[in-house]
Amino acid sequence: MAKKSKEKKNANGSVIRVRNLVAKYGDVTVLDNVTFDVPRNEIYVILGASGCGKTTLLKHLTGLIPATNGAIEISGQNITGMDEEQLAGMQRNIGIAFQNSGLFNSMTVGDNVALPLREYGNMEPQLVNAVVRLKLSLVGLANAEYKLPAELSGGMRKRAGLARAIALDPPIVFFDEPSAGLDPIMASGLDELILNLKHLLGITLIIVTHELDSIRKIADRILMLDQGRVIFTGTVREAEQSDQDRVRQFFERRPDEHITQRNI
Amino acid sequence: MNEKRIQCPKHLDQESGRGLVEQVRAEGVAPRQTLVLDFSETEDMDTRGGAWLIELANYVKAQNAKFDLAGQQGDVAEFLGLLRPSLVSMAEAPPQRAGVFEQAGEAALNTISEFKEFYHFLVDTIYWTALAPFEGRGFRWGSFIDELNEMGVRALKITLLMNFLLGMIVAMLSAAQLELFGASIYVADLVMVAFARELAAVMTAVVVSARTGAAIAAELATMKVQEELDALRGMGLHAAQFLVAPKVLALVIALPLLTGLGMLAGIGGGAVWGLVVLEFRPDIWFNQTLNAAMFSDIFQGFFKAFVFAIVIVLIGCHNGLRVTGGARGVGLMTTRAVVMDIFFIVLIDMIFAAFFYYIL
Repeated sequence: MAKKSKEKKNANGSVIRVRNLVAKYGDVTVLDNVTFDVPRNEIYVILGASGCGKTTLLKHLTGLIPATNGAIEISGQNITGMDEEQLAGMQRNIGIAFQNSGLFNSMTVGDNVALPLREYGNMEPQLVNAVVRLKLSLVGLANAEYKLPAELSGGMRKRAGLARAIALDPPIVFFDEPSAGLDPIMASGLDELILNLKHLLGITLIIVTHELDSIRKIADRILMLDQGRVIFTGTVREAEQSDQDRVRQFFERRPDEHITQRNI
Repeated sequence: MNEKRIQCPKHLDQESGRGLVEQVRAEGVAPRQTLVLDFSETEDMDTRGGAWLIELANYVKAQNAKFDLAGQQGDVAEFLGLLRPSLVSMAEAPPQRAGVFEQAGEAALNTISEFKEFYHFLVDTIYWTALAPFEGRGFRWGSFIDELNEMGVRALKITLLMNFLLGMIVAMLSAAQLELFGASIYVADLVMVAFARELAAVMTAVVVSARTGAAIAAELATMKVQEELDALRGMGLHAAQFLVAPKVLALVIALPLLTGLGMLAGIGGGAVWGLVVLEFRPDIWFNQTLNAAMFSDIFQGFFKAFVFAIVIVLIGCHNGLRVTGGARGVGLMTTRAVVMDIFFIVLIDMIFAAFFYYIL
């Protein structure tokens, strides 16, 4: 709804373009020739079985790990050839919410959110506190400003991590496993919050998860990885009707055959 | 009616938000007046505009006036709905710092609770190290060998080097004074007695506390933070049995051995200075060295090393097991363990010195 977001909604195109991305840990290929586009102001979910390379892909997209091969464009800039300073500049324009929140335990929740504002925000000191309160209100933590992360529950820590990720109003936010380890009520609340961020702030969200309920609720588009390769891109409905058994197996929660063989 | 109504701009953003706050501040708000912001013409707002709105709400509430919203619709209403807790309720005050008496009381309570915890820890450690193995309740010999290797063999090089250098330093300093009296040969006596009774034990203990004591505290603290200790307890296993006992036995054996080798290295460092710079004949220097110390001097050094080993491992484990919080807690407890190690090493050394001076 924000003015900025309306401009974004009108502008079509992709905010992230990945071409032939290859990632290796030693001799092991973790991502193999990955290619996809993330459209603006959509919730793009990266999913797949544990160990398929989801988190590795996220770390490449956010510049935390350099690509072995291929190209990654974020908001029109190719980040694969960037030096450290250029990468830091790009990273100021994205938000990252980590699986375990990544909050600094020695700081209050408010100071965690204020950190990027004070470092990069270029804003009046009086407004920093107001922005901190606004971000915490947006994620439903208006009364947690002076609490330490250790005093928060798992779900609240994830929300606080998200508040820090959106502190600088980034157009793109990456979120690693938002629902992992949360009860269904908390997980569902977080889904609502993610939808609000997209709707009200015009943010493009790239979310790594394998929680089926969340995926059905929030995903505009999904990308499915299997052993480092992209095996599907499209909507959830298309995935559920896919003629690829591996894709349908995921949505039908069907175990691999060797697990169902009782004689093992 | 004690109400003041202000029309919000069509687009509420950084600039118009700042203008709104400046306008209200310039016009002022009377106590107990209600400031109503009319959003009927506002089509959109962004987060900076929202932040100025919170700033405005804080200003109005600080004037003892009320703050209300009216006319919002669509997405603006949805956005304001999320901000309502920050707009309507007072900003939470930062927690007050505790007063002097509260801090003193809390420190006293913490000290008492730490002593209690240390007492239980000590009893468990004595049982699982010295008694339980004889009752057939098991001792982790594999872990003990690993610890012995880590605490002893791997610490050997640095211990020998430090003692060797300290031996040379002691020889240099004492030679400068004793040469004035033509008594340079007594440098050999001084180095021997100093290393047998004092320096090898203290220097080796300081090196080991910085190396092994810190590692023990950090390892146990990280295990606690990552719930590994809860996992042990959940399996009916004791941290004292599983983690502490092998470390205690390993360091109690390793530190006296390292100290013995440290004595030789220190004496060697002194000898290098005596033979190369002071140009004594080797047989004269080593005869002087061997005649300088008695068995009791060497025993003192070993006995101190034994006590220091117990102090280092108990302090390391105790601090590691008491950690709270995350990475910062681990860092604080590791630092505390090393500082306590060095303090107690010096304190105990002083007590020994006084004991041997007055009693023996």
